[in-house]
Amino acid sequence: MSSKLLGERIKRKEDPRLIQGRSHYVDDIQLCGMLYLAFVRSPHAHAEIKAIHSEAAQKMPGVLAVYTGADLEGRLGLIPCAAGMEGLKVPPHPCLALRRVRYVGEPVAVVVASGRYQAVDAAAQVEVDYEPLPAITDLDKAVSSDSPVIHESLGDNIAFVAKLEGGDWKAVESDASLKVIRQRLVNQRLAPLSMETRGVVASYSPGEDTLTVWSSTQIPHLLKTQLAVMTGMDEARVRVIAPEVGGAFGSKLNVYAEEGVACFVSRQFGKPVKWIESRRENLMATIHGRDQIDDLEIYFRPDGKVMGLKCHILANLGAYHQLLTPAIPTLTALMILGCYNIPAVFVETKGVFTNTMSTDAYRGAGRPEATYIIERVMDMVARELNLDPVEVRLKNFPPPGKDIVLATGVSYDTANYQKTLKKVLTLSGYKKLRREQARLRKKGKYLGIGLSTYVEICAMGPSSRMPAGGWESGTVRVEPTGKVTVLSGTSPHGQGEETSFAQIVAEELGVPYDDVTVYHGDTNQVPMGIGTFGSRTTAVGGTAIYHAAQRIKKKMARLAAVKLGAKPSELVFRDGKIETEDGSKSVKFGEVVGEAYFAKQLPPGLAPGLVENYVFEPPNYTYPFGAHVAVVEIDNETGEVNLRNYFAVDDCGRILNPMLVDGQIHGGLAQGIGQALWEEHVYDENGQLLTGTLMDCAAPRAHQFCWFETANTETRTPVNPLGVKGVGEAGTIGSTPAIVNAVMDALRPLGVRHIDMPLKPEKIWQVLRGGSPQVV
Amino acid sequence: MQAFEYASPRSLQEAIRLLPAQWGPTDVLAGGTDLVSAMKDGISTPQRLVNIKQIAELHRMTFSPRAGLHIGATVTLRELLDDGAVQQHYPGLIQAAEAARSEQLLNMGTVGGELLQRPRCWYYRNGYGLLALRDGKSLVPEGENQYHAILGNAGPAYFVSPSFLAPILIALGATVQLHGPRGARSLPVQKLFVTPTRVGQREHDLAPNEILTEIRVPYRPGVRTAVYEIREKEALDWPLAMAAVALRQEGGVLRDPRVVLGQVAPVPWPSPEAERTLTGKKPSEDLADAAGRAAVAQATPLSKNGYKVQLARIAVKRAILSAVQQGG
Repeated sequence: MSSKLLGERIKRKEDPRLIQGRSHYVDDIQLCGMLYLAFVRSPHAHAEIKAIHSEAAQKMPGVLAVYTGADLEGRLGLIPCAAGMEGLKVPPHPCLALRRVRYVGEPVAVVVASGRYQAVDAAAQVEVDYEPLPAITDLDKAVSSDSPVIHESLGDNIAFVAKLEGGDWKAVESDASLKVIRQRLVNQRLAPLSMETRGVVASYSPGEDTLTVWSSTQIPHLLKTQLAVMTGMDEARVRVIAPEVGGAFGSKLNVYAEEGVACFVSRQFGKPVKWIESRRENLMATIHGRDQIDDLEIYFRPDGKVMGLKCHILANLGAYHQLLTPAIPTLTALMILGCYNIPAVFVETKGVFTNTMSTDAYRGAGRPEATYIIERVMDMVARELNLDPVEVRLKNFPPPGKDIVLATGVSYDTANYQKTLKKVLTLSGYKKLRREQARLRKKGKYLGIGLSTYVEICAMGPSSRMPAGGWESGTVRVEPTGKVTVLSGTSPHGQGEETSFAQIVAEELGVPYDDVTVYHGDTNQVPMGIGTFGSRTTAVGGTAIYHAAQRIKKKMARLAAVKLGAKPSELVFRDGKIETEDGSKSVKFGEVVGEAYFAKQLPPGLAPGLVENYVFEPPNYTYPFGAHVAVVEIDNETGEVNLRNYFAVDDCGRILNPMLVDGQIHGGLAQGIGQALWEEHVYDENGQLLTGTLMDCAAPRAHQFCWFETANTETRTPVNPLGVKGVGEAGTIGSTPAIVNAVMDALRPLGVRHIDMPLKPEKIWQVLRGGSPQVV
Repeated sequence: MQAFEYASPRSLQEAIRLLPAQWGPTDVLAGGTDLVSAMKDGISTPQRLVNIKQIAELHRMTFSPRAGLHIGATVTLRELLDDGAVQQHYPGLIQAAEAARSEQLLNMGTVGGELLQRPRCWYYRNGYGLLALRDGKSLVPEGENQYHAILGNAGPAYFVSPSFLAPILIALGATVQLHGPRGARSLPVQKLFVTPTRVGQREHDLAPNEILTEIRVPYRPGVRTAVYEIREKEALDWPLAMAAVALRQEGGVLRDPRVVLGQVAPVPWPSPEAERTLTGKKPSEDLADAAGRAAVAQATPLSKNGYKVQLARIAVKRAILSAVQQGG
């Protein structure tokens, strides 16, 4: 594909309406006779529900009903978990708690009222008698044999144990020349914190027996199926619409209690029902991310070659499984070797229940944890051997190539880790930085340089390895006027595929970019779909659209060939025409469209109209990679970390729109750096959420960052014809260890090997004054 | 949030008549950035709100070299920041107001409200009252006290005064005007703040039926000012420590230095110790450092907030250095 559109910095089609506030999010949907919901939530992390008194609330103005878990039992299905792992324990997860609550914020009852504030005020009047039970929030304690059990029917708090082993451990363990480092790394819990909180409008029409649901979701099609199952409705009568969705970062790749309850209530009353999540509810009852303890054993040669890596992972799952909860930490195991050819690997992952909100997919979903582990490993080895971290990485990279299989069994599509590393070293002036560092150290100043050379697993994915199918659907329809409609089963929510999909189709059909309109997120409009997550939208969804466009071209070429007296294979689509390469035979695009619809002289076997659907099944994941360099300065007096420079070289395969790629990288870096320096979502030992407001929960803002210097290399993937790999999560995955490595590099003269995130000034100050960082 | 009456008087007298003589049933609404969230959390449960934003005289800001700067209580932080006279003559005030960070808070929040905002103490915000009592005993000394007071913390109050503006206003010798049923009174800003010693006492010297109407800041040409603050999360959190400094240089030495710390005690905390260290001395990094040490020499950190002592020391040091380096 030679191109004018692909690879260009084209402004986003979706921005004018979003920037001007003229589009519609769930809360902008107003329907006649709408009712409102407010949830009564548990103030306890773990307690028996003794009684629920709703009489006072029922008498409040505007209140129509109060439902509890008992009212819904048998009438509304359980919250689904799609992760199908061997031996996985799946506790029942009702939409409203039954008999026991297991985390702070768990919905216990719902108030239905004719006004939003009436519902909220009445919810405050519902009295629940609880008998508190001991709360379990500590992972080490939760897995001990004398721990109280959160789900008594399951026997203990361990939901699953998964092992991944590869390579010759006997050789590693018997090699006396190898050095060993043992280190515990804590990957703290985070809140995904999208700008728009969750929200749902459910509208049941009793006459038609149809249910329409507007939800702030990443997965309208999957949600439709699940809501049909939960409500017991005929799936053909359920329609889910994801209107504008104001960010999600994985947190809306889910089926939530409130969505189920809204559908149930709407069916009870035959009226539309709305629920919009408050920010406090969002921090408390929308899934969280990360939260692992990783105990490492690193076996390495004195020259820096790492020979074996063992890791025992304790993954905090929270109190229940949400849609993919147990699957997330398994991605950590899968990617734990990163981009290094380490001959032996052993990972044991324990998924652990605690009295906290469920963890699930948050931007990166298991892979940032893996990258953090392996990139810290490289730096710890370099430090131990007094080698430059660049040297250790080069020693452990596999040679550039395709289909590289590591000890984990993962097969990387393409790799050239040396190239991105070299590029970022040049971009950052790495050698010069090291000289500056040496000069400053003599003056007692702490400058740190941190590297991260990451690889991620993207474009999710082959259906054989995905919980609910990994294909994607794309439809291209040329309208009778020659305008083009594109339908995608993905559900972008800020990434900008309305733009990149239009670029692909306009390029292929040779029509103006403005003539292409992209729709997604409505299950009655888009025939089938999976959604947007796992950096899959362009690589899988875009490919489906590309193939659908090929089918349109094939049909139009046949029609044009008849008209021009040429062979279909001789024809090209460009500048609104279908013509031979030399232009000697040419017909207008619109004229051929007319032929297809008027259907007066169609060649035999050709059906009228121009609409094609294609479902793309990816043969493999893709494995984007990159190399980042962070430069930090430490304030000797306060312990504050100043991020001075950040250089990111990312290889996400072919780039369709550099501006969209930059946007994804910048946002991802902000979140990844945020984890390293500021963010943590904290429960106390009683299971109370200490970071329940935006004052306590550090959400980084633009002024906290330096300008990011970004660059790319383009190694096209053979997995799809576009050559794109995916970029949605790269920044988050690559940046966290770069920052931590930089801070630890700065503090090197102080002899500290590791400090757990977030690297708050107080911890650094404790180190600066010669104390232990871990007491903070 | 419970239902409430809403009054929006046009005159100060009318507003004062709408306020009762005891705390609780009525609250004064200006920007509402603190009050409304406290109402949502059930921390304030007024039956009546008296909006004072319709009272024209409370929304004026004037400057003259003779009278100095008069800031009406409902002037917003954004209006303060955008004012040419403030920018020219009161750079320290600009620095302090910028600490509000959030554009929404700057646009809605008022100068009067900034001074009268309630403490951020999480025990207070979670319904344990200003003294954080459970069974008559403060939860703070053995609790999560990393953000609590390091000075003036003999108890029973351990919260910190949350105002960004108060330290610099005190350093500049500002006063506030208060209007009540019996007329007007004037207080130095320092006197507006009190450390409560019993349940029910507030942290401001303000009667329930009084309204803070104006802040008056003298014009003192030749005075250099600076504010330095340090936060943990650099986001919407309040600083862990801040220091405001006002001083003059005469013949190469420092004169009339004022050093006031914020976020370290139940009230804004002037430091005569630091001021004595500076007076009549030639400015230097060592001198600033000594003043910082003097400012925290009497600090009595709680179990988890020793770090704040270090930050307060550094904030004082850097505010002094910054003030000295400024022109004017």
